[in-house]
Amino acid sequence: MKTVSSTATLWSKISAALPRDEEEFPLQFGDKVESSVVEMLKRCRRQLYSDATAASRMLNAQIVVDVSWEKLNTGTWRHVDKEWRRVYSCGCLFKVAALCRDDPSADEVVQAVRTCDMGLLMGADIMDDILQVIVRILQGEVRKPTELEEESEHTEVKRMKTEIPRAPVIKEELAIPRIKCPSLESFSTNYLLPLKPVVLEGTIGHWPALNEHPWSIGYLRSVAGCRTVPVEVGSRYTDEGWSQTLLTVNEFIDRHIWNKEGVKGLGYLAQHQLFDQIPELKEDIRPPDYCCLGEGDEDDITVNAWFGPGGTVSPLHQDPQQNFLAQVVGSKYIRLYSPEDTDKLYPHQSKLLHNTSQVEVENPDAERFPEFARAPYLECVLQPGDVLFIPVRHWHYVRSLELSFSVSFWWS
Amino acid sequence: MRWFGFGFNAFGQIRVHEKLMEGARGDAANDVKVSGPTELASKADRRGCCCLKTACQIRASWSRRASLHFDSDSCVCLAGFVSSEAWSGLPLRESRGCRDALISESCLTLAFSDRLESWDLQKEEKTPSWSMEITPPPESSGPSVGLPLVPGGYIATKPPLYRSLSPQLRAKSLALSSEHAILLSASGAVYTWGLGSHGQLGHGGLSSEEEPRAVEALLGMPMSCIATGSWHTVCISDGGDLYVWGWNESGQLGLPSRGLRKALQQQSSQQTGALHQDVGTSPAEGPQEGEQHEEVFISIQAFPALLDITPSCEIRSVSCGCRHTAAVTTTGDLYTWGWGDYGQLGHQTLISSDEPQRVEFFREQQMQVADVVCGSWNTFAAVVKDEVSCS
Repeated sequence: MKTVSSTATLWSKISAALPRDEEEFPLQFGDKVESSVVEMLKRCRRQLYSDATAASRMLNAQIVVDVSWEKLNTGTWRHVDKEWRRVYSCGCLFKVAALCRDDPSADEVVQAVRTCDMGLLMGADIMDDILQVIVRILQGEVRKPTELEEESEHTEVKRMKTEIPRAPVIKEELAIPRIKCPSLESFSTNYLLPLKPVVLEGTIGHWPALNEHPWSIGYLRSVAGCRTVPVEVGSRYTDEGWSQTLLTVNEFIDRHIWNKEGVKGLGYLAQHQLFDQIPELKEDIRPPDYCCLGEGDEDDITVNAWFGPGGTVSPLHQDPQQNFLAQVVGSKYIRLYSPEDTDKLYPHQSKLLHNTSQVEVENPDAERFPEFARAPYLECVLQPGDVLFIPVRHWHYVRSLELSFSVSFWWS
Repeated sequence: MRWFGFGFNAFGQIRVHEKLMEGARGDAANDVKVSGPTELASKADRRGCCCLKTACQIRASWSRRASLHFDSDSCVCLAGFVSSEAWSGLPLRESRGCRDALISESCLTLAFSDRLESWDLQKEEKTPSWSMEITPPPESSGPSVGLPLVPGGYIATKPPLYRSLSPQLRAKSLALSSEHAILLSASGAVYTWGLGSHGQLGHGGLSSEEEPRAVEALLGMPMSCIATGSWHTVCISDGGDLYVWGWNESGQLGLPSRGLRKALQQQSSQQTGALHQDVGTSPAEGPQEGEQHEEVFISIQAFPALLDITPSCEIRSVSCGCRHTAAVTTTGDLYTWGWGDYGQLGHQTLISSDEPQRVEFFREQQMQVADVVCGSWNTFAAVVKDEVSCS
């Protein structure tokens, strides 16, 4: 249903979300941010509340974005001063304001959404998450797919499902045990404490993602189509040709699910905290109850989205936390190796990749990695509604068998 | 000697425009981005500013430009974002008698014959925020080295400011970015250390080095000049060849950059760009992105690559901004490449380039470029007038 409100009132909506005047607009930064940069921010703020040309506003905002972008790319990400990330978010805010001020075109609105996303992805919280507030306002203005387009895509997905190759047959003696809705105590005693993997069935059936809002390509487009997300391109992250890029969800679906442009290389929306970026999706999932057996509280759980076509591969690797891997759409083949057998798994020597095995699990080089064949393992095909418990530091290899959406919960 | 500047001018560090100070009205774009070479004010202004016609050196940071005058009454003058307009252009009292200077975004470092001083540019204080006595090296040890090199070591970009260097390195010159360093020794060997995540150390990988490590790919080929950008490194061989390595996201290496082509496509500019440039000149190692039916793009060059400039020429000196590179040939031409959004390439456009291009202005004016110094987002060229037409 299209509302009547047009871009003519867009600025008034955005303006209402901003501080009333210059005095109310905070620009306090730590010592690391030089006074020349603060001066530039002040110029932007002045222009926000006074007359200026669109070009001048954009120019000054872009200067702030450019100088803080350079800081964000200096040194290791972990060590980037949070103040610079806040400066970057401010720059994005001023840029969005400049784009939306004077009767923005559809393209300018799209650019503004992208700018909000860059601020949300790379920046840090400013002014009570104002970029989140503004992107929601902007999303209301962006063209949604028509009913006809949604239906035709839905049909395509159905057709795609019937074409998938046969899933690997899981040998019974190698199967990860499955259990339906164990009690907290039972899970703790039998799996968590002894660090044994298990597939939990029937524990997420209540998720809106599997009920009221079944996640589908059409649904994802409508909730997040114009939003920019990081995408991994390439067969696996250990490959030379692997790279990361930024695409809108629509572009990702077009290029890497449908391969409309004949793009080479698999695309995988992997290990991304999508639910922080797009709160509507967060409401469709719940952290598994069993997480309460851990030390921290809900805020300490890292939730990641994993969305991609069939054939995406996460090479054999281990993580330093407990993991619940919930399958929402499609299916994945997963193999697990115990940390006790690390010596047969040939981890990379480099600091960057020491948690990743050198071996291609489904095509191992027996000459280079002779011990690998002797390493015992467990495997499963994870289906929608399943949750796999991957104990801390357990080695895991994942390959999607078809279009797939999983959600992982890292906890301690 | 005359100096010309182009590029980022939001603080008036190239030329001052009255409207800049208000920052409110009017299309300031022409003055924030100076896209063609503009002569730096060389006549004394109403306050008796020092004259740039005397031999002078330029140093530039993001928001400021320092002019260094070395004569009987040596001093440093600042332009750009200075704490009070009254000081702009006037010789800094604190700098009188200094022999060398370095400017960063937060401080001005001065070298005197007997001491070093670092002055905080963000506060107006009476004393330097840091200083150190130095014992002048004996006359016989050859010409003194320039900042950031000091006797026994160098001045870093962040604390601890003074760091020692092994005398075995025989450091002749040193270039620093905030995260990596390159040292040129008296023998012409090149050493790098610091963070290497963008290939800027030139050892073939992405790992960091804590101690100076020789760039093996260049061993046996003496270098004569070095320069660093934020994430890239450049050096000139004795024979005038240019070697580049590091991050090429804006074409700052002069090698085909996918990110750049994509950005240009999005702007749908008139770039004709040679899409079939010969990549054979560079022993392109390290991660590459490429598709079979297109040319190979290089985003990180982890080993030194020889950069060909056409028409072929010998490079005399080179300097780097954060994401761009500028080189002067022995015949007095200036070439620039890399990030150009602020006009720092000087071709009267705001277009970035992954191919070295000559700044035609100087040829048109029949000027010979003698030297080049880059600030973060701008470029300054020293010029001598050439009476005879350029060959």
